[in-house]
Amino acid sequence: MTNLSPLTEVAPEVPRSRNRWRGLLPRWSPKLGTGLGLAGAIVLFGLIGPLVTGDPATIRDFGLTPPGGEHLLGTTVTGQDILAQLAHATRGSLQIGLLVGIMATVLSGVFGIVGAYAGGVVDEIFSLFSNVMLVIPGLPLVIVIAGFVPPDQRGTGTISLVLAITGWAAAARVLRAQTLSLRNRDYVAAARVSGEKTWRVICVEILPNLLPILASQFVFAVVLAILSEAGLSFLGLGAANSSTLGTMLYYAQNGFALQRDAWWWFVPPGLIIALFGGALALINFSIDEIINPKLRDRARRARDVVAVETDTAAAEQDAVLTVKNLNVVYQADTPVHAVKDVSLTLRRGEILGLAGESGCGKTTLAYAINRLHRPPAEVTSGSVTFHDRDGEDVDVLALAPEELRAFRWVKLSMVFQGAMNALNPVTPIRAQLQDVLRTHRPGMPASDREKRCAEVLRLVGVDPARLGSFPHELSGGMRQRVMIAMALLLDPQVMIMDEPTTALDVLVQREILNEIKRLRDELSFAVVFITHDLPLLLELSDRIAVMRDGEVVEYADAEEMYLRPQHPYTRELLASFPGLNDDRGALIR
Amino acid sequence: MTTLEVRNLSKTFHKLRAVDNVSFTLTPGRTVALVGESGSGKSTVARMIARLVRPTSGEILLTSSDGEPVPRKAYRDHVQMIFQDPFASLNPFHTVEHHLVRPLRLHGRSRAEVPHLLERVSLPPDFAHRRPHELSGGQRQRVAIARALAPGAKVIIADEPVSMLDVSIRLGVLKLLARLQREENLAVLYITHDLATARHFSDEVLVMHRGRIVEHGPSDEVLTRPEAPYTRQLAAAAPDPDARFRQGGQP
Repeated sequence: MTNLSPLTEVAPEVPRSRNRWRGLLPRWSPKLGTGLGLAGAIVLFGLIGPLVTGDPATIRDFGLTPPGGEHLLGTTVTGQDILAQLAHATRGSLQIGLLVGIMATVLSGVFGIVGAYAGGVVDEIFSLFSNVMLVIPGLPLVIVIAGFVPPDQRGTGTISLVLAITGWAAAARVLRAQTLSLRNRDYVAAARVSGEKTWRVICVEILPNLLPILASQFVFAVVLAILSEAGLSFLGLGAANSSTLGTMLYYAQNGFALQRDAWWWFVPPGLIIALFGGALALINFSIDEIINPKLRDRARRARDVVAVETDTAAAEQDAVLTVKNLNVVYQADTPVHAVKDVSLTLRRGEILGLAGESGCGKTTLAYAINRLHRPPAEVTSGSVTFHDRDGEDVDVLALAPEELRAFRWVKLSMVFQGAMNALNPVTPIRAQLQDVLRTHRPGMPASDREKRCAEVLRLVGVDPARLGSFPHELSGGMRQRVMIAMALLLDPQVMIMDEPTTALDVLVQREILNEIKRLRDELSFAVVFITHDLPLLLELSDRIAVMRDGEVVEYADAEEMYLRPQHPYTRELLASFPGLNDDRGALIR
Repeated sequence: MTTLEVRNLSKTFHKLRAVDNVSFTLTPGRTVALVGESGSGKSTVARMIARLVRPTSGEILLTSSDGEPVPRKAYRDHVQMIFQDPFASLNPFHTVEHHLVRPLRLHGRSRAEVPHLLERVSLPPDFAHRRPHELSGGQRQRVAIARALAPGAKVIIADEPVSMLDVSIRLGVLKLLARLQREENLAVLYITHDLATARHFSDEVLVMHRGRIVEHGPSDEVLTRPEAPYTRQLAAAAPDPDARFRQGGQP
């Protein structure tokens, strides 16, 4: 039996990590460093402080001494050492925070994850219960419950329990939403098909993917608990037999610290609460970055791009768009050269096919032509020149923001990948089409707008009566036609279509392709058609550029490419599509 | 060898008849292609056979090599599924090894078989320690195939196994499936919307439209000389550069 040829495909280059947990750890950042440092210092103070500061309850005869000397932070009205009190109170608050954090996380996990995974009646009951708990205002309930418990039984445990019971519901909602999404993932289905038991599916397949969220919810619960406890204690409803930062504030209030200008009594506990809350919030930011990697590039996004030397290219006869030696680089930790020295010419009324596989840079190229690329993508060199119908040449990369707004969609429009899902689900088609006109043709009378919208719909073969329809009332093919209509609204000279038919069925794809050809003939705009489907391009386009690893490896007329493909990669691509009518068996053995 | 017979299978979702009275048989050593567009009900058929979705009516009968029906508890030893999207069907948290060891263990086999499984899908043994994000789409799909083979399954449901992969590697994955099918005498249900690969990689074709089977027969016959109007439409809609450049010319 012949073995398979070695894989030609290249795996993504990722630094190898043996440690499965590493991916879950937040990336190091100043935010995280500050947060961990502060929180660590406060925890250490709470742990070690009480051992070295002596008894906080010792009463001395010199009340309200300002900081300094023997008592670093001064004394209370009864002469107790504030530093010692602060150390014990910090420990007490941390204990409550930790206890509540654990209990609230467990509660939210049970109600959120188990309910969502089980589904049906269990989910209904669990989520009803969470919702009820969510709408009960927390602090008043805590006050009521705490008020009911006699003061002598109001220990740390009781207070923690009360805080946990009132504090888990919001987290359960978040976990439920995430679990609902995870349970429909194929890997969960695959685990079920291989015969895994339900509890294992939850614990082994789902739970690890929820860890960042659980961690974030835990941190949040801790902060909330410390703050609520401080509030309760301040009202005199806190734990009776323990000292926390809240009880310290309570005694400071009762001892008229403010009125007597004894700031050293109430500022330190307040400061510790604020700092600890701030520190945990900073840690939570970093955890959020794991859940939502998009946040990581925030810092980089601020920078604008466009630092290009421009040499407006001498236009080929009849050209409408000339791309010359364009380079786009993703300025990541290791820069990725996504588009390398690409030169293309789009003639008036031409359909130019851009073929390539995922990651070859074809979408990046399309975005750069339209200046839609966002940092970290950066055009490092090259030019994009648009040759207007009236003879004027526009250097697209040099346009100022306002000029760019006037250029995009008017001269050059785009149909995005998966565009049919880009329609706003809550507004009718009419509003979305008219929005474009309202933005770009502010002076247009309403009746003309309506007329133009109906006209473009008719152009793409959709009944103008559908103007009042909502996107969900249209089929996928119809929504895609509406997107094309939207791109046609301002009568552009160039339309870039990024995989416009990939999500559609073959029959619908056929209709849309016929539509594009017909519209091109009627309205004579030029099209850049991007797809991974080379046979489709061979049938549709006039010229084709094949891209691989950011480079155009072959650029030729469709017929030439079909009959005499030059580059080995083009041949490989052509060979990977068996034709319906090819000899059977040639491929298999 | 295991034979799977589907009899009058139907599934209704909220009054919508997603699968309507579908019957066919999967026999060892043969590949049956189930062809249709999205929404035709073909994935629902796959999920019913994989016991992820309960049929509204109809039967799925599994017969082992000795002619006895397979007991319900052992069903998953025999029938496994390959999912469409290799980026979704592997848990990002776990290594390749985890994905293979679990099904091995659950079906009473030893974890020592992992290197052998990887070898069968043409992956080097050190891939066991990698995690999904370190693999390309094609490599992931090979892991998914190895996972389906791990319990020693003899019936494989492949739900659009290559439609999410780059075109230049689709053929490699399909050839791998074809080779495994021949070597291990598997019964394969190949679900796809691509008529060309259906013709090249299957012995028999079922064309599905709105939950019903509208045409079935040997793949060469059905796909080169379609009878049903729907099959004809499908065959005509596929992009065909031949028609453009070699009209009236030599083949």
